[in-house]
Amino acid sequence: MIKLTIDGKTIEAQEGTTVLKAAEEAGLYIPTLCNHPQLTPYGGCRMCMVDVEGARTLQPSCTMPAADGMVVNTHTDKVLNARKFVLTMIFSERNHFCMYCPVSDGDCELQNRAYDEEMTHWDLQPNWQPFEVDASHPFIILDNNRCILCRRCTRACGELVGNFTLGFEERGANSLLVADYNVPLGESTCISCGTCVQICPTGALIDRQSAYQGKEIEVDHHIGVCVECSVGCQRNVLTRDNRLVRIEGEWDAELNHGLLCDQGRFLPLEDDRGRLLTPLVRKDGSLKAATWEEALNTIAQGLGKGKGLAALASTRLPAEDLALFKSIFADNLHGELVTSLEEGKATASLAKLAEELGKPFESSLDNLKDTDAVLALELDLVEEHQVPGFFIKRQIPEGTTLVVADGKENKLAAHASVRLPLTAGEESSFLENLLQAIEGKSADEGLNRAAEVLKAAEKPCIIYGKTFAEKADAKALQHLLDLAEKLGAALIGVKGEANSMAAAQLGLEAPFTPNGYQSAYVLLGDEDPSQKLVKRLEEIPFVVVQAAYSSQASGSADVVLPVTMWAEQAGSYLSLDGRLQKLGQALDAPEGVLTSQAALIKVAEALAVDPDTDWKASLKARIPTVEMRED
Amino acid sequence: MTKPKVASDWLCGCAGCHMSFLDIDERILQVVELVDLRATPITDLKEPDKDGVVVGILEGGIANTHNEHVAKQMRERCKILVALGDCAVFGGVPAMRNFFGAEAALQRAYVDAESNDSEGKIPCSPELAELTRVRAVSEVVKVDLHIPGCPPHADVIFYALAELAQGRIPEIKDDMLHWH
Ligand code: SF4
Ligand code: SF4
Ligand code: SF4
Ligand code: SF4
Ligand code: FES
Repeated sequence: MIKLTIDGKTIEAQEGTTVLKAAEEAGLYIPTLCNHPQLTPYGGCRMCMVDVEGARTLQPSCTMPAADGMVVNTHTDKVLNARKFVLTMIFSERNHFCMYCPVSDGDCELQNRAYDEEMTHWDLQPNWQPFEVDASHPFIILDNNRCILCRRCTRACGELVGNFTLGFEERGANSLLVADYNVPLGESTCISCGTCVQICPTGALIDRQSAYQGKEIEVDHHIGVCVECSVGCQRNVLTRDNRLVRIEGEWDAELNHGLLCDQGRFLPLEDDRGRLLTPLVRKDGSLKAATWEEALNTIAQGLGKGKGLAALASTRLPAEDLALFKSIFADNLHGELVTSLEEGKATASLAKLAEELGKPFESSLDNLKDTDAVLALELDLVEEHQVPGFFIKRQIPEGTTLVVADGKENKLAAHASVRLPLTAGEESSFLENLLQAIEGKSADEGLNRAAEVLKAAEKPCIIYGKTFAEKADAKALQHLLDLAEKLGAALIGVKGEANSMAAAQLGLEAPFTPNGYQSAYVLLGDEDPSQKLVKRLEEIPFVVVQAAYSSQASGSADVVLPVTMWAEQAGSYLSLDGRLQKLGQALDAPEGVLTSQAALIKVAEALAVDPDTDWKASLKARIPTVEMRED
Repeated sequence: MTKPKVASDWLCGCAGCHMSFLDIDERILQVVELVDLRATPITDLKEPDKDGVVVGILEGGIANTHNEHVAKQMRERCKILVALGDCAVFGGVPAMRNFFGAEAALQRAYVDAESNDSEGKIPCSPELAELTRVRAVSEVVKVDLHIPGCPPHADVIFYALAELAQGRIPEIKDDMLHWH
């Protein structure tokens, strides 16, 4: 620990920290612009200048190392004047017209800093040279007129996302933020994660969906887990007047610390499927609007039990709903098939292995954040489960090596230093060969290079996808364990949808094969039904669909119950690495629409069954593939 | 004590700032009690008194030679010159024209705009002021107080007038300070 004095207050700080961090930790405020807690200090904007006794000139506190005995002043006239000067220079460097800028009034850090310094105006003119506005991207607008050249976006795209799309064309004061080699953002390598927009302090990078839709002070915030996949990133869902305004990554989240992918951030706001607003019952061949009572009566009459009854639930639903579903259809009605819409493909073999071992064998996603070698098996983290892919990609310039083994087209492979062919179904022999290579007994050049990289690593990770989990036989899984043990590697199975693992814990993993079912209950929630599901259901005489949106599945059902979508319900989600997280309700459901859970309870009443509601106990009834933790 | 004289005028703006002034509603009675409201666009008198006023208020930026004249006259005739609103403080919305130039703006407005027929032409008369680059008032004359906002809120205008009337220079900060 070192001691320094800031504004007359003596504070303790860690050695190696900066003056800014030391001040912040002691609760002292120094204004900043280019600095961001998630990024490496850059020292570009000079907003954070402080007076250090003994130093000839003012020093940027965000990059200045704190030293023992240092005396710092943040409020001298010299500092205050310097701040105004810095802000005046920034404003006049480009063209800031706050009256028609979407982030004006509270959402612009530049403007806020100037308000803090009580600047009613500035004495220099704007630049007046028009800078490019790039509106080619489906979700993002880049207006270089409002850019302050702070490079938060370029640093975020590289340091956090590992995508390195953004950069500056350096021409002094005319430096221009560009994508790739100056191509329109919409035609660039951008993967639409939106991190640059979220981190931009001004209106230079704005998102099309929420511009002018509501300022920070006008919106409500709902922090909760993302339901778009099993990674379990924390999101901040912004709403106004019962409408989604924007989705942001939660900076304080332990796993994703602000990052989201396009699926978690932008796509939910693009959902334009038609809502189901009333129960429907098939009468004389066509679906007609009905009351809940009529619909429930029809279900009570048409739905069988035991043999001939199939029940399927979406793994986008909360664990509470899945447990209730299981209790009703498996434990009470003894349905012949009670499973999830994922049919356990991404989890069943892994869950079985954990049971055989009598203990979890997989590890936390955090292992990916400081790994030095990754083996990705039949998994494309650019296409799916993207945020863990960011963790890997961003470390590659620092020397982390990536080995991708896949038989399909795989975009992650573009970032790999070793690419190995792995045909689905041949996991066992592939892993056996790799083990051989690790023991120095292989003649295959690719395998030997992979073995070399993995053996040299101190913290290797092996991450595998749904195809691997589906195709790997017992032998392949044994090889996987051997490999992990030999290398001291962490194993991470990405599973599938948001509650894939909860469904696995509940044993909802049987395959849905045609079996002459007489009736089916489909708990679709807000999931889009697959073509395969639609076809299978067509073969079943009596089908109940409980869904938020109208689809081919609801269109061909006999009874349709209207339920909530993700933002209108609350519940728990078990991430791929065992974190049990909450999602709160962000929107009110439309009139007459029930949550999936409330609808299930009504159905249970109509069927005169009394379900078990201890969902947590049900989740824990099975040995998990990875230790479950609650935060 | 005699009430301080206040005059105002509008330059290249949209009248929104004066509308916001009227939004002080019944508090206008308090203002009239505190100040002697002289020439304004909304009163009969059109030019600030020759023998001067204490406070001169200008809405709008300076976009032509006539605006320049009005601003200079106001400056000469007032002790404290107030730039009211973003147009006066920064140039504001009309200053977007500077990106294209006055010629292009005239061409667009009088000839090219979809609403013009084939006869559309740029008006030209020696009586018309000549367009210039759109400027903040402070680029042309010295300004003593900037009240930004598009428009500034009626509460801010009332506060500022009340302070000025009592011989104080208002502090535009915290909740009073907005650039939009
Ligand atoms: S980015 Fe900020 S400072 Fe620039 S115009 Fe927008 S609100 Fe004003
Ligand atoms: S959206 Fe993501 S990938 Fe695209 S430029 Fe921004 S940070 Fe980079
Ligand atoms: S676009 Fe935004 S984040 Fe990027 S350099 Fe400009 S102001 Fe900074
Ligand atoms: S500042 Fe806004 S309200 Fe006032 S004149 Fe200009 S455009 Fe109109
Ligand atoms: S915040 Fe320190 S230089 Fe920008």
